[in-house]
Amino acid sequence: MAAILRAAFGYCFLIFTVRVVGRRPGKQMTPFEFVLIFFIGGLMLTAMVGDEASLTNAIGQIMTIAIMHYGIAWLRQRSPRFASMTDGTPLVLLEKGQWRIGTMFNSRITDDDVMAAARDKGLSQLAQVEYAILERNGEISIVSGDR
Amino acid sequence: MPAAPHLKPVEDTVPMVHGEVAIGEDLEFQRRWWRFERIVWIAFALIVLLDLLGVFGKGYFAKGHIHQGPVEVKFERVERLGTPSIMTIHFAPEAIHRGTVQLWVSESVVGDLGNRRIIPQPESSTVGNSGVSYIFPASGGRSSVLFALQPASPGVFRFALRVPGVNEIRSRVVVMP
Repeated sequence: MAAILRAAFGYCFLIFTVRVVGRRPGKQMTPFEFVLIFFIGGLMLTAMVGDEASLTNAIGQIMTIAIMHYGIAWLRQRSPRFASMTDGTPLVLLEKGQWRIGTMFNSRITDDDVMAAARDKGLSQLAQVEYAILERNGEISIVSGDR
Repeated sequence: MPAAPHLKPVEDTVPMVHGEVAIGEDLEFQRRWWRFERIVWIAFALIVLLDLLGVFGKGYFAKGHIHQGPVEVKFERVERLGTPSIMTIHFAPEAIHRGTVQLWVSESVVGDLGNRRIIPQPESSTVGNSGVSYIFPASGGRSSVLFALQPASPGVFRFALRVPGVNEIRSRVVVMP
């Protein structure tokens, strides 16, 4: 019973913490994100397992997390509000030659991050970018002016 | 023959920016979320600060200390689930009678607080009166007995200690999950 509750709490707490830590741009995780994800995952693991190293405990906890994951995915599909809370919303960083300063600052994103995404799309200057959008998965989408 | 899949015509359900790029941005929600995030960061910082001070155990504010005549007890007021700690009981020479120290501890020390080991080993132990009575051989001078604790469940637990000729010592320990 306690192990199941620990797993459920740990899952919700990790989702909440990672959500608050925020999105970082880039298609692949940098060492910075690797450390964050593996470290907090490892720390939570010790509290989840405790001294109950049985297969029964592991299976029970895995099934708990599977059910919770399914439940959250179900809620996300049915409630746009809940989906915004778990995943956030796409954010416009640049539109028609204007930066959205507040969005950039609060999302901790720099113009270098946007330019990196623009280069990835084959653009050589920020002036060629009509829209830059921070997606819910942390990637920056670029809509060029010559579309 | 397999059933035909259900189809629905595509509509522009995702809100657009300047009526030309479908993004689905909800800036009002995001502004509220940023305000919420700032509150969460402050809460995280406060929790870490309180943790450093020992409010949740293993720090300055978690230390318990009771002095009752010739008996002095040092323990953790706030324990953590499954985490070892030491309760130390010091005896002044006045607590030693005929080369022994008698100590009665409530059942909660053995059960709820998870006593794993007593250092030194008592000469004898007797159960009764909702607790356990121990007799330790002692020479003159100040002497100490250590209880190695490791609570197995969270909660608030009261405990009591008794030494002949000394008022009963009572306190409580909070075991954090």
